[in-house]
Order: sequence, then C-alpha cells, then structure tokens
Amino acid sequence: MFNCKDSIDSLLPFLDGEMSAEEEEHLRKHLNGCPPCVEFVRTYRATSPLCRKALVKAMPPEVAGRLKAFLRNKIESK
Amino acid sequence: MTQTDSVQDDRELMTRAQAGDMSAFEALVSRHEDKVYGLALRMTRSEADAAEITQDTFLSAYQHLSEFRGEAAFGSWVHRIAANNALMRLRRQKVLDIVSDEITGPEFTERGSLAELPDSDWSKRADDKVLDDELGRAIRAATDALPEGYREVFLLKDVEGLSYEEISEMVGISIPAVKSRLHRARLALREAIDAFYKEV
Repeated sequence: MFNCKDSIDSLLPFLDGEMSAEEEEHLRKHLNGCPPCVEFVRTYRATSPLCRKALVKAMPPEVAGRLKAFLRNKIESK
Repeated sequence: MTQTDSVQDDRELMTRAQAGDMSAFEALVSRHEDKVYGLALRMTRSEADAAEITQDTFLSAYQHLSEFRGEAAFGSWVHRIAANNALMRLRRQKVLDIVSDEITGPEFTERGSLAELPDSDWSKRADDKVLDDELGRAIRAATDALPEGYREVFLLKDVEGLSYEEISEMVGISIPAVKSRLHRARLALREAIDAFYKEV
C-alpha cells in the first residue's frame, strides 16, 4: 500500500505512462482515499504548463536588430 | 496558424534559404529568435550570454544549412543547437556543479504522509490564457533559483520538449538521473507556485 511519499515519488513514471500495473494499482488505491494527494497530482501536472507560459520571453527589439546585423555581416563577409 | 502550417512554412523558407535566399533565412530567424533567446536566457540567466548564444546558434544554423535534410522541424533543429551552445557555455563557466540540497519539495511525516495539506487547487490556472504578472515573476525567480543541473533538465524537457534520450546525451548523465532531476525540479517549482497562491 502506498503512502503519500510513495505516491508523490511515483508521479513522473505515472504521468509518463511507464508504471507497472501493480504499482499503478497501489497508487490509484492511495489516491482514492487521499484527497490531498489528488490535489497534489493536479497541481504537479499543472506546474509545467504554467512554467512554460511564464518562461516565454520575447527578444528585446534592439537585441533582435543586432542579431540580424551580426548575421548579415558574417554571411556577407564570406 | 496550426503547428503543421508553421512547420510547412519553415520547410518552404528553408528550401529557399538553402538555395541562397538570405531574406528567407532572415524570416526563419525572425520566426524562431524569441524561443532560442528565451531558452538561452533561462539557461544562463544572463542577457549578454543569451544574445551571444542566439547569434552563434543562427550563424551555426546558416553554416550547416546544406546538412539540414528536413526530417526534423527547423525549430527543433535550431533549438537543439541553442541548447548545446548554452550547455557548452555553462561548462566553460564551470557552473554545472549540482547542489541538490538546495532543492525544496514537499515535507512528509515519519509515516510518509504529507506534512502540510494543500489549501487551494490552483491547477485550473494552467488553462488561463493570460498568466498573472506576479505569478510569472514568482515562477521565473523559482526557475532561476534551481541548481544548474536541475534547471537545464527542466527547461530542455518541459519547456523545449526534448526526449529523455536527447537530454541524457546532451547533458552527459543517465536517463534515470535525467528523470530524477526533472521530478525534483518540478516538485520545487510546484512548491513555489503553491507558496505564491498561499500568499495572495
């Protein structure tokens, strides 16, 4: 029988679909009786999409301008 | 525009660029510079390094245009070049040492139960189209605070979408080690987001 720690330790293979049937059964049994872990799984799963949104960073226009100038210069000098 | 349309547009631009059309290559640069720069910035935490890595990446892509066969998407190809460039720069700066004790995660009781119960389910916020500015800042700070070896694995897998095998090869660690670092990085970032929602 899994406890909270076992369940959280197994989240990565669970979400990757790489858990054995036996382990998955242990996890599901724990989740059925542990609402905090169900919430933990939901928030663990939501972490990566939220981070992706936060980490989008547009290149500043002046840096983009320097990039194009750099590439033209390097390519034309060949 | 769908992702398929975007890849198709990239292929057409790539064909023209391979034939020597500089404007087509510049169009490819414009389409991918934000993602390349963003990855480099998050990996190195330095705007100057990110700008140089972006320059080196697109120059290298241009120099190897003839080797590009089109099996992969241009975006994936150029992002892998950028990730490699960023990793090489970090190695030169010798900042890839891992201090795993700095990673935080959930705490457990002696019996393995969660020591602190979550008091809000913020998972649906991931569906919001616009991310709260303050949450964005909290996530960027938490990502920057991850030890290098963990941050790079998280960025390469969950932001760039590389496979475990590709990351293992790039970073030079085993696949189980990649997975372990990814899981711990996710736990630390989940804790940071959870703490943000507890404060607001």
